[in-house]
Amino acid sequence: MAESLPRVAAAGYSNYQLIARLFGLAWRYRLHCLRVLGIQLVLLTMGLAGLGFTGVGIDFISRRMRAAAGAPPAPPRMISPLLRFTLPEQWSSMHVLMLLAGLILSLAVCRAVLNYAYQVSVNILVQQKLVVDLRGEVYDKLQRLSFRFFDANTTGSIITRVTSDVQAVRSFVDQVLIQSLIMVISLTVYVVYMASLSPGLTLACLATTPILWLMAMGFSRRVQPEYAKNRDLVEKLVQYLTESVQGIAVTKGFGREAENRARFDAANEAVYRQQRHIFWQVSFFTPAVGFLTRINTMVLLGYGGWLVVQGRLPLGAGLMVFAGLLDQFSGQVNNVATIVNSVQQSLIGARRVFEILDAPIEVKNDPAAVRRPRLEGAVRFEGVSFGYRPTEWSEMATKQDLLSAAVLAKPDQPVLRDINLEVKPGQCVAILGATGAGKSVLMGLIPRFYDVTAGRVCIDGLDVRKLNLDDLRRNIGLVFQESFLFSNTVAANIAFGHPEATAAQIERAARVAAAHDFILALPKGYDTILSESGNSLSGGQRQRLAIARAVLLEPAILLLDDPTAAIDSETEHEIFEALERAIAGRTTFIVAHRLSTLRRADFIVVMENGRIVQRGTHEELMRVPGPYLRVADLQLVDRDKLQSAPPRP
Amino acid sequence: MKRAEIKDLNLLLVQRVRDEDDDQELLKPLEWGLIRRLFSYTRPIKRKFWILIGLTIIRSAQLPGLVWLASKVIAGLLVHTDAHWIIEGTIAYGCLAILTDGMFHFRQRYALEIGETVVNGLRAEIFARVQRQPMSFFQKMKLGRIISRVTSDVEAVRAGIQDVAFVSTIQFGQMVFSAVVMACLDWKMFLVVVAMAPILWLVNQHFRMKFSRLTRAAQDSFSRVTATLAESVTGIRVTQGFVRQETNAGLFRSLLADHSRYNVAMARTSAILAPLLDLNSQFFVAILLLFGGMRVFHHTLEVGQLIMFFLMVNQFFAPITTIGNQYNVALLAMAGAERIFWLVDIPPDWEDDPAATPLPDPRGAAGAARAAPAGARVEFQEVSFGYVPGRLVLHNLSFTAEPGDSVALVGHTGSGKTSIINLVAKFYLPTAGAVRIDGREVRTLTSRSLHRQTGMVQQQNFLFTGTVLDNIRLGRPEATEAEVAAAAEELGCRDLIEALPQGFHTELGERGGGLSVGQRQLLCFCRALLANPRIVILDEATSSIDALTEDRLQRALVTLLRGRTSFIVAHRLSTIRHASLVLVLDQGRIVERGTHAQLLARGGQYAALHRQFVQVDDRA
Repeated sequence: MAESLPRVAAAGYSNYQLIARLFGLAWRYRLHCLRVLGIQLVLLTMGLAGLGFTGVGIDFISRRMRAAAGAPPAPPRMISPLLRFTLPEQWSSMHVLMLLAGLILSLAVCRAVLNYAYQVSVNILVQQKLVVDLRGEVYDKLQRLSFRFFDANTTGSIITRVTSDVQAVRSFVDQVLIQSLIMVISLTVYVVYMASLSPGLTLACLATTPILWLMAMGFSRRVQPEYAKNRDLVEKLVQYLTESVQGIAVTKGFGREAENRARFDAANEAVYRQQRHIFWQVSFFTPAVGFLTRINTMVLLGYGGWLVVQGRLPLGAGLMVFAGLLDQFSGQVNNVATIVNSVQQSLIGARRVFEILDAPIEVKNDPAAVRRPRLEGAVRFEGVSFGYRPTEWSEMATKQDLLSAAVLAKPDQPVLRDINLEVKPGQCVAILGATGAGKSVLMGLIPRFYDVTAGRVCIDGLDVRKLNLDDLRRNIGLVFQESFLFSNTVAANIAFGHPEATAAQIERAARVAAAHDFILALPKGYDTILSESGNSLSGGQRQRLAIARAVLLEPAILLLDDPTAAIDSETEHEIFEALERAIAGRTTFIVAHRLSTLRRADFIVVMENGRIVQRGTHEELMRVPGPYLRVADLQLVDRDKLQSAPPRP
Repeated sequence: MKRAEIKDLNLLLVQRVRDEDDDQELLKPLEWGLIRRLFSYTRPIKRKFWILIGLTIIRSAQLPGLVWLASKVIAGLLVHTDAHWIIEGTIAYGCLAILTDGMFHFRQRYALEIGETVVNGLRAEIFARVQRQPMSFFQKMKLGRIISRVTSDVEAVRAGIQDVAFVSTIQFGQMVFSAVVMACLDWKMFLVVVAMAPILWLVNQHFRMKFSRLTRAAQDSFSRVTATLAESVTGIRVTQGFVRQETNAGLFRSLLADHSRYNVAMARTSAILAPLLDLNSQFFVAILLLFGGMRVFHHTLEVGQLIMFFLMVNQFFAPITTIGNQYNVALLAMAGAERIFWLVDIPPDWEDDPAATPLPDPRGAAGAARAAPAGARVEFQEVSFGYVPGRLVLHNLSFTAEPGDSVALVGHTGSGKTSIINLVAKFYLPTAGAVRIDGREVRTLTSRSLHRQTGMVQQQNFLFTGTVLDNIRLGRPEATEAEVAAAAEELGCRDLIEALPQGFHTELGERGGGLSVGQRQLLCFCRALLANPRIVILDEATSSIDALTEDRLQRALVTLLRGRTSFIVAHRLSTIRHASLVLVLDQGRIVERGTHAQLLARGGQYAALHRQFVQVDDRA
C-alpha cells in the first residue's frame, strides 16, 4: 500500500533508521512510559497473589472436608516456593473463610484502582501528549513547506499524514514498546511460576504455544494484505458512487444509467468475492486457535488431574492456580500477533510522518536577511529561470489552481527561461499567455512561493532572498483565481493577514474593494460566518472580499492572478471598480485575458512556453504582428467597435 | 483583534455547526420490521441462513457444556482417586471440543457471509434507487448524505449482523443453559447469582450510554480538527502569502487540545467501567466463597458442587457485559438501517411512462460515428415549468428548432435558460404544455433512447476519474481508440491530448483535476462529438479561458454543432453570433427572438444586453 501512496520526496528510510527514530520518540516520554510500566508490574504481582489465595482457600476447605469425612488428611504440601505457606490448622473455618473473602475483596479494590490509573495514564500519555505534540509538529512544518509540496500531494494524502499516520506512529510507543515489555515480563513470570508448581505440566501445556505463535503470525501475514486490498476495493466503490452522484447530469445526459449500475454492481460483487476469501481464512483460524487452547485444557485435565490423584499436585494451590495462569498466559501470547501488526503499521505511518518532518524547507528565511517593513515596490527580474527538479516530485498535481498548472508541463522542461523585466513603483504590468506559459509561476517568484533556479528577483534593488521573508510577504497583496475564504467571520477573513486590525481598518479595506455594501446586507454584517470555502457568496462577492483582504495591509505590491476567471460574465463588472481602486498607487502584476484589462496596464508582457515573447503598451503591440495582435483580433469580434471605441488614456 | 478576542473566535470555531445528519437519531430501539427487512436480503443464501440459526442454538449449549465437563472432572478429583475418571472425562471433553470448534467454522463463516450479503444487497439497492431518481432529487439531496448511507450506515448494519445478531443469541443461550445447570446444582446459591445480574447490567448500561455520548463529542471535535486541517491545506497559498503560519498553528493546537480532552474523558469513563465490572465479579467470588463455604461446612453443599459453581458462574456473568456492549452496537445498526431505508424508500418525483417507446434513431445501428449527423426537430408548445409546485420559472413558451438549427439562450441568471435545456434533455417534465422531439411528446419517449441521441456539455465540464480515453468514450463505450483519436482530430484538439504525459491514456484526477478549464471543456466537446448526437445541449463555461484556448473552443464548437440541432446557454458573444435563433429570456418568458443581426437592429433588450457585454470589454 505504501508504494501506491504519493511520495513526498525520494527520501528513503531503512526500517532500522525508522525504528531508531521511533525509539528516540519514546525516549522523549520515558518517565511517563516508566510509570505506566510500573503500574502494570504491580498489577501483575497482585493478580498472581489473588490466584494463590483462591487456591489456598480451596485446599483448606477440601482438607477440612476430608477430615470431617474421616478420610486421611492429605499432607499439606506446598510445592510453590513463591507461596510457601499454609493456613494454621487451628483456625476456625469461618475465620478462614472471612479472611479469604476479605483478602480477595481488598485485592480486587486495589486492582480496580490501579487498573484505572493505568488506563488513564496510558491515555494521557498517548492522547494528550504524544498525539497532540506530533500533530502540532507536523502541522507546523506543513505550513512552512513550499508550494511545490502541495502541488505534488493531494489534500487527502496530506490530511492522512496528520491524522491516521500520526496515530500509527504513536502506536509504536503504546502498542509496541510498552506492550511488548509487559508481554515479555509477564510471560517470564508466568512460566517461572508454573514451572515451580510442576515443570512437567508446564512443558506439556506450553507445547502448543509455538504452534499458536506461528499460526497467529502466518495468519496476520496472509490476511493483512487482503484486508488492505479490501479497503482499497471499498474505497474505489465509494469513489465511484461519489462521482456517479456528482456527474449524474452527464450520466443521464448520455443515457448511461444502466451501464453505470452494471459497473457499480460489478465493483460491489468484487468486494463481496474478495471478502468471502477473507471469511474462509478467518473462519479457519479462529476455531483452530480455539481448539488449541482447548487442547491445553485437555492436557491440564488429563495430566494435571493424574498428578492430583497421585498426590503430587494440590488441587487448589496447584491445579486451579495452574489453570488460571495458563489462561493469562494464552491471553498474552495472543497479543503477539497484535504487536507484530502494530509494528508494520507504525513503520508505514512513521515513514510518511518523518518524510514531512524531514522535508527540507526550500524557501528559507536567511538569518542575515535585511528587515524592510516598508517597501517601495520596484521589482526587477534579472535573467530568471525556474524549473522543477523532476526527481524530487513524483506525483502529478491534481489541483486546479493556475499556480500549480506548471506541474502538468513536462517535468524536465524549465517553466521559466531567462526572464528580464523591470517594473517601477506604482506601475501596472499585465501578463498574457496560454495555460502553462508560466504566468503564475512568474508571479509566485516575487513573494518567494518558489525560488528561482537561476538569476534573481529584486525588490527595491535587493534580492528577495536577502529580504526578511515575513516583511517581504507582508508587503505583497495577493488575489488568486478562485479565492479561498476560510470558515470564519467576514471580518476575520478580511483581517486574515493582520488579525489585530481594527474594525475601522477592516471597513476601509472593504470600501476600497467595493464590498462594504454587500457585507452590510449579510445576515450579521461583518460578523457573518462564511460556510466552508465561503460557498454562501457569489463569485464576485468572494473576489471582492479577497481584494479587501489583499489591500488591508496597504501592500506596495499587488499580485492578481486572473481575478475574474471564476466569475460569471454578468457579475464580472462588479469587481472592476474594486480592482481599479486597489491597483491605484501600487506596483501591480495582473494575469488577464480580456483586452479591456490588458489595455489598462502600463505595459503588457506576452508569455509563451516560459519566455517573454512580446512586451510593450497596448498601442505598441497592436501595431506589430504577433501573438498579442492575434489574441486581440479574436476578441475584437466587432470590428466596428474597435474603430468606434478608441482606447482610453 | 485582541488576544482575548482571538480566543473567543477559537471557541466559536470549536463550536462550529455539526453536519445536518444531526437531526437523525444516532440510536434506535430494536424494531422487528427493520430486522425482518434486513434479513430479507439474505434470500439468495437462504439455506445458509437456516443452517446458521441451527448452529447458533447448538453452540449456546456447547459452550457451557464444555465448562460443565471440565468442572465436573476437576470436582471429581475430590472424590475419585483413580485415573479412570480422569481419562473418561478428558476424552469426553476432547470429543466435545472437536465438535464445537468444527461447527464454529461454519457458524462464523456463515454469519460473516450473511452480513456481507446484506451489506452487498443494501449497497446495490441504494445505488440503483439513487440512480433512478430524476434530477430534481439531486438538487435537494446532499452528496454527503448518500455517501454516509453507503459507508458508515452500511458498516453499522454489517457490525450489527456479523458481530451482534448471532453472537448475542449465543451469549443469551449460554446464560440460559448455565443458569439451568446452576439451578439444578443448588437453587439457593443460584438465587444469589441471579440477584447480582441486574446490578451488573445497570452499571454497564450507565457507562455505555455515557461512553457513546462522549464518543459523539470526540468525533465532533475530531471532525473540526480535520476540517481545519483540510482548509489549511487548501488555503496554504493564502496562509503563506499573508504570513499567518503562527496564528494558524496556535489555532490548530487549541483544536487538538480540545479533541484530546474528549479522548481522555472517554478513556476515563471506560477506565472506570472495566475495573468496576472486574471488582463486581470479585465481590461476587467473595460472597460465593463465604456463603458457599458456610453451607459446605454445614454439609448442605458438597465441595465439588461449590467448585463447579465457581467455574460455571462466569458463563452466566460474562454474557451480561458482552450483550450490554453489543446492545449498543445493535441500536446503532438499527439507526443505520432506518436511515438507509429512508433513502431507498424516497419515491421518485416521476418515472418514464410504462407505455413509453424508444425514439426512432435515423443514424443507423448503434449511432455509428461515421454516419452523417442528422438533427432532430425540437418543439416547445406553450410550455410552463416550475421546480417547485406553484412557482413557475418558465411561462408559456413556444418555439421550434428545425433539424440543424442552433438555438442560443440569452438572459440574466434566473431567466430560465437552464430550465429550458433541462426540459429538452427530459431531466424534468413540463408542468403544462408539450415538448416534442421529432413530433413526439417527450412523455411518450423512453429517457434512455432520447439521451442516447443527445450530447451534453455542462458548465462544470464534469470528467470522471479514469483515462482521457475512457472519459471521451463515455457516450459510446464500444468506440475504438482510433475513432476517439479521429473525433479529437476533427475537433482540432488531438495535439493537445497527445501533449499530456501519457496522451490518451493519461489518468485524470478527481473531477478532471490537472487540466485547465479550457482543456476540460474541449474533452467534453470530444465526448459529445463521439456520441454523434442528434441534439447537442451546451452550457458554456463562464470562466474566462485564455484567449488561445478560447479560439480553439470556438472552432471546435462549429464542428460539433454542424448539422445537429443545438441548444446553447451562451455566455460568449461569438457563440451567439453564430446561432440560427437567439431566444432572449427574462423571468421565464421569451421577450425577443431572431438572429443576432435582427435583434441588434431592433434595439431592444438584446441590444441593451449586448451593450453590457461589450462594455465589460471596454471598461477599466
